[in-house]
Amino acid sequence: MRRHDIPMPEDDENEINLTPMLDVVFIMLIFFIVTASFIKEVGLDVNRPDNQQQQQVKQEEANILVVIDANDDIFINRRLIDPRAVRANIERLHAENPEGMVIIQANKSSTNKQLVTVMDASRQAGVYSISIAEGAG
Amino acid sequence: MRNRQAVEEEESEINLTPMLDVVFIMLIFFIVTASFIKEAGIDVNRPDSFTAERQEDAAILIAISEANEIWIDRKPVEPRAVRDAIERLHLENPKGSIVIQADEESNHETLVVVLDAAKAVGVGNVAIASSND
Repeated sequence: MRRHDIPMPEDDENEINLTPMLDVVFIMLIFFIVTASFIKEVGLDVNRPDNQQQQQVKQEEANILVVIDANDDIFINRRLIDPRAVRANIERLHAENPEGMVIIQANKSSTNKQLVTVMDASRQAGVYSISIAEGAG
Repeated sequence: MRNRQAVEEEESEINLTPMLDVVFIMLIFFIVTASFIKEAGIDVNRPDSFTAERQEDAAILIAISEANEIWIDRKPVEPRAVRDAIERLHLENPKGSIVIQADEESNHETLVVVLDAAKAVGVGNVAIASSND
């Protein structure tokens, strides 16, 4: 009689206990949610010419050359330009020659703030092909 | 009498299978979308811009501090070692692009060092980080 009673609880125990697996899965889930990095980088693309391209670029006079000197002054066509006026100047030169790209020649000790200012101005003026040339002097 | 009670108890247990399915699908989703971005490790004062775009596939962040130190993967890196560091990280994620977080006051010279290194390694897409107004 007693032996007859036992099979019921045994049947119950035969089912796999999912709780430990659930624990593990939940911990993995939380780990991946927490480590999911939600980094959203914003920035400006750089298109840097290699040496061959640079040779060609130098031969063509059609591009807009922007020079940044060691004191962070911006020159276009050898004229000193106010940072706020860069956009208007590039716009004008771009209208004269729509196929030219902007080449930025920055001095080694100029700050990157000025570089980004010029890149941004050029993009605002509608010129998206920007090259950073080897710094002159 | 005892037998009926046992059966009732069994039926009142919650069925966990659908929840397990959902949890597994969430788990797989988070594993797949986990982006393994290599952070630079320092905060820089980003230059302002108006035309900055989201860099979708950024995988390597390189920071240039105010004092012209280059930081890659939470470590300061010598200018000579930048190329090797980029090469190593680029191998892990060959499709990812590089975002250079250059401080406003950092020199152009340091930026060129990083740009040259990225070019030498063969990373196609390089961007300079800026803050959008």
